[in-house]
Amino acid sequence: MDIATLHSIFTVLVFVGFIGLVVWLFVLKRKPDFDEQANLPFADDQKPKQQQKQESDHE
Amino acid sequence: MSQTKSLNVDYNYTVVRLFAVTTVLWGIVGMGLGVLLAAQLYWPALNFDTAWFTYSRLRPLHTNAVIFAFGTSALFATSYYVVQRTCQVRLFAEKLAMFTFIGWQAVIIAAIITLPQGIGNSSKEYAELEWPIDILIALVWISYAVVFFGTLVKRKTSHIYVANWFYGGFIITVAALHIVNSMAVPVSLTKSYSVYAGAVDAMVQWWYGHNAVGFLLTAGFLGMMYYFVPKQAGRPVYSYRLSVVHFWALIALYIWAGSHHLHYTALPDWTQSVGMVMSVILFVPSWGGMINGIMTLSGAWHKLKTDPILRFLIVSLSFYGMSTFEGPMMAIKSVNALSHYTDWTVGHVHSGALGWVAMVSIGAIYHLIPNIYNQGRMYSIKLINTHFWLHTIGVVLYIVAMWISGIMQGMMWRAVNTDGTLTYSFVQSLEASYPFYLMRFIGGCFVVAGMLVMAYNVVKTIRANDGALEPVAEAA
Repeated sequence: MDIATLHSIFTVLVFVGFIGLVVWLFVLKRKPDFDEQANLPFADDQKPKQQQKQESDHE
Repeated sequence: MSQTKSLNVDYNYTVVRLFAVTTVLWGIVGMGLGVLLAAQLYWPALNFDTAWFTYSRLRPLHTNAVIFAFGTSALFATSYYVVQRTCQVRLFAEKLAMFTFIGWQAVIIAAIITLPQGIGNSSKEYAELEWPIDILIALVWISYAVVFFGTLVKRKTSHIYVANWFYGGFIITVAALHIVNSMAVPVSLTKSYSVYAGAVDAMVQWWYGHNAVGFLLTAGFLGMMYYFVPKQAGRPVYSYRLSVVHFWALIALYIWAGSHHLHYTALPDWTQSVGMVMSVILFVPSWGGMINGIMTLSGAWHKLKTDPILRFLIVSLSFYGMSTFEGPMMAIKSVNALSHYTDWTVGHVHSGALGWVAMVSIGAIYHLIPNIYNQGRMYSIKLINTHFWLHTIGVVLYIVAMWISGIMQGMMWRAVNTDGTLTYSFVQSLEASYPFYLMRFIGGCFVVAGMLVMAYNVVKTIRANDGALEPVAEAA
């Protein structure tokens, strides 16, 4: 196999991987799955839970 | 040793403090050097006919000081802070973390000693330092990776927050870039030759050079953005899903763009075209990230009125958006034919460096300092606002001057008479640029004045009694 074929295979793999990522994120996973992750910067504060919840519902 | 009450995790803030304070110090030194160089371009007599004070020797010192001393210290400080806070665990291998601080400062001091003496590899832009210093950089960087990824491994949270993905990508890629590009054969302690030759050397250099922009000056600072913008705005990032797409798209594309620095050179044509196409596509993830950052404020725009720290962060994103539109455009070969080798490039770099990198760092440091010194806020919010305006005016003056000067240079250099001879000599274009060099110098003075205001504010905050500075009433 020559280098050009390898490069072509790699390009296709990266493209398929990227499409897979987008499908996983926007089709298979629901938005609430990421809410906890998105709130990680606030997780180690001593903030009341109520306030955090209000802040996250703008999306 | 400091600690914070939140969740009763005893974070290591010592090394964060050291890097945060040196960020401000090296910011003043690096930007001050930039102003000196701007003055030398307007008043050439300012080199005093002293070899080590000439433009050619101080210019690499300026770039090394702002990128590796100021910018990278900011990245060390914020990454050590963010990785601890979002993993809810103390730093891994704390002695090694301290070594990264001492080692990195040693690298900076070594640069200050060697570069003005003319010791260094001048064909490698942004990688001028000689081989013994390069080895120290590699050692520090590998230690940095051990500390950072070690902390990720022992995290208490199940998920790795997106900011850490960006920091992690930046750390790994910079290690690879530095080690590959710095491969050299030493002939003495102060002289070495690159193992690469000809067009390959040029390609390796700009693979390194552009990815230093892409991974150090972009991915690293995006990590900063993904923590400090939500934190300062008091609300989570606009779309976490978009941030995941942003990360993978950015790192997959950036690595291919470097050859746009070598349009119309001995580099094969197809390589130039690949670089051009990849650079244009890069516009998409860049703007995705910018929109994600700015839209985090949706529903809370009023906070921009009262919070100058948030203003620093959001305006930095505007400059990021502007630079990442300008960059792909300048990478198009026909545009590059006009812009390359002119002041337009210099203006573009500074809208990225002073607008994006410096402003997001300054905003992050203003957020960081009170948090790591047990204070509720910075000593003076008014002075942060003063700094914001000084910096913004300075950057705008700078980039507008370089846009006008650069496009004018490009037009003058390509103008031909009907008989095919050049319309203008080089000196004529230089004379036309002259007033804009004064404008740039004035812009630079504004920026450095702002940094001095910051230094005063930081010192007053650090020296205040524990907890003496109460948080602002309407907490962000």
